[in-house]
Amino acid sequence: MTTLVREPATRAPAAAPAARLRRRAAGRFRGTPGRLVLATVALVVLGLATGVAGVVGVRQRADLVDGAVARSGELAVAAQRLYRALSDADATAASAFLTGGVEPATLRERYQTDIAQAAAALAVVSGGGAGDGRGANAVARIAAQLPVYTGLVETARVYNRQGVPVGGAYLREASGVMRERLLPAAQELYTAVSEELDEARGDAGAFPWFAVALGVLTIAALVVVQRFLTRRTNRVFNIGLVAATVAAVAVVLWLGVSALVAAGRLEASHDRGSEEVARLADARIAALQARADESLTLVARGNGQAFEEDYDKMMDRLAGNERDGGLLVPGDADGPTREALTAALTEARNWDSAHQQVRKLDNDGQYAQAVTASVGAEQTSTATIANRLDERLAAAIDHNSENFRQEARGAAGALSGADIGIGLLAALLVLGAAAGIQRRLAEYR
Amino acid sequence: MRARAAAVAALLSVLALAGCGGSDAPPFGPDPAEPARPVGVQDPAVLPTTSAAPAGSCDPRASYRPTGALPAPGRMPSGSTMARIQRAGRLVVGVDQNNYRFGYRDPKTGNLVGFEIDLARELAAAIFGSPDKVLFRAITTADREKAIQEGRVDIVIRSMTMNCDRWERVNFSTEYFSAGQAIMVARDSPIKGIGDLADKKVCAATGSTSIRNIAAKAPDALPVSADDALDCLVLLQQLQVDAVSTDDAILAGFAEQDKGTKILPDRFTEEPYGMAMKKESVDLVRFVNGVLEQLRADGTWTSLYRTWLSSLGPTPQPPTPRYRG
Repeated sequence: MTTLVREPATRAPAAAPAARLRRRAAGRFRGTPGRLVLATVALVVLGLATGVAGVVGVRQRADLVDGAVARSGELAVAAQRLYRALSDADATAASAFLTGGVEPATLRERYQTDIAQAAAALAVVSGGGAGDGRGANAVARIAAQLPVYTGLVETARVYNRQGVPVGGAYLREASGVMRERLLPAAQELYTAVSEELDEARGDAGAFPWFAVALGVLTIAALVVVQRFLTRRTNRVFNIGLVAATVAAVAVVLWLGVSALVAAGRLEASHDRGSEEVARLADARIAALQARADESLTLVARGNGQAFEEDYDKMMDRLAGNERDGGLLVPGDADGPTREALTAALTEARNWDSAHQQVRKLDNDGQYAQAVTASVGAEQTSTATIANRLDERLAAAIDHNSENFRQEARGAAGALSGADIGIGLLAALLVLGAAAGIQRRLAEYR
Repeated sequence: MRARAAAVAALLSVLALAGCGGSDAPPFGPDPAEPARPVGVQDPAVLPTTSAAPAGSCDPRASYRPTGALPAPGRMPSGSTMARIQRAGRLVVGVDQNNYRFGYRDPKTGNLVGFEIDLARELAAAIFGSPDKVLFRAITTADREKAIQEGRVDIVIRSMTMNCDRWERVNFSTEYFSAGQAIMVARDSPIKGIGDLADKKVCAATGSTSIRNIAAKAPDALPVSADDALDCLVLLQQLQVDAVSTDDAILAGFAEQDKGTKILPDRFTEEPYGMAMKKESVDLVRFVNGVLEQLRADGTWTSLYRTWLSSLGPTPQPPTPRYRG
């Protein structure tokens, strides 16, 4: 279509067979007026196409940001909350069991809160259609095994109150269900939801190449038509076409800039938000696992060694082999997060040395003292230190979740109004081009 | 980035379509409703591969005769294993903490208590003059011989049957309790004896003599093994096995914990319990046997039996010690 209008009318028409054909096929468009009609049609079509592609593209990406990104983000948070609540239940049930026949009310309440939170998070995750089927099996497994787990814990509790050893066997079975089934399923779910989030983010941050290309093409066509008219009519400006050109440039700029800004904010929502949340959640979970290991080593029942080895593994993961970083390395986290991580690392070191003390007491046969050092309410007990560590990490997770929400909102903001604006500009483009050429065409009648 | 995501999405949607097949069942992965089991359960059980030394190849009850009078507490002969233990400041004993009445943790106090625990304290009293200089280490059934061989414990007192096979790797004291293998079922079970076990799941602890005996005496039964005999009670309560077969003493503890069970009258093996020690430390074995002689003679054995095991029936005479050569 552009070759059509670009072709100088002064050239000998008979020389080009294509032009001859064209003349035959469309006799009406012969000479300058005919070409102007063609130019109008071309510009209107291009303008409309640019407008539609732009508006639809912006709408799709805005929907992705508002829907998929925001939703997956919330689902990822819920999946992480689910995992945390489950591991905390495991650690708390073991601690409560340790403290003797009748567990302290605080531990009982904490366990019940954990189970309630896990169930609520599971409802959020499954209601959100987590993982588009990828997480479905994990959700089904958690839904089926969570009541089994709580049943086993209650059985353990009743037997423990009667003072008979089979209670310990039930607690170990419960912990086995937690570690071999519930936690792996929750991990799977979290991975599925995180992948979905990454995909949604990739799609939402994609550059609208097609619409921008159409826009650039429209600008080029407008320039060609204006040069043609200038040569033909010796008038430098045609108000309608100038307005159309300005509108076309604005459309392209708006499309490009809004897409780049949105992509930038989405990137930030990952780097400053969900990526940090994922790392912090990992750290928190490693800490909870280590806590459960510590308690289960004491519940032991002959197999304490395996739990103690797992404690070492989890502590290595959390704070590094030299207890100097691991998942708690500040890295490129923002100020508040770095602060929380530094504090958490100090707590992890305190915990580890308190833990060595617990192990020493237990290995020296001072079981009751070891239990007190582990689950007591003193500031120096590993339970208290582990709680402080957990609180630090929880606060950092909240902070970074808020970062994620802010950046996702920012990305949505960059796109908001763009659809209407681009639609209006495209309308202006079409009307300007049509009106501008129409005035020149009128001079030929 | 986008292309990769699109490819992943396409692949996953193909997988999802392939998996869904229009049913309600979740697409793939483990069965969500798989029943819970205690950690370490093997169903069917993997039977011990070591060939057991033939039953008639030795007298499993015969141990080393004590030499002379016991040394005074705190004055162990220099160079002896007892002197090494005295220097270490405590006797390390491998025990069970799940065996009701024999060795278990009292949930009210968190302390290990029971018949075997008190026997260990008597040994500590004989070495140190104090029954508290003892460190209890909870070990699993399968770990008993290894714990001795690796020196993690000085002695194992954990319902361990003396047999010729084990004599090859560890030394035993004289018999301190006479058990026998029996069968426990739910109170309303149709199983009346060892003859009814065909195609029934029967649980015993991994690495125990019980699991071998089931395979030998009830070859049509389906053996299931668990890390701890107590896990077998859990499996029985959860209807995952039809019977538990282990020493009657252990089963009596189970029956006390669950009134919905019964122990069948059949007692189809003899399981003499001995304290196990390292093959090299014969001096310790002789010393322990001396202590046991004393406990039998001064009525301590009988009073401990009354304290812990009265539910097994009237208090019997202590097992008569047998010595080699």
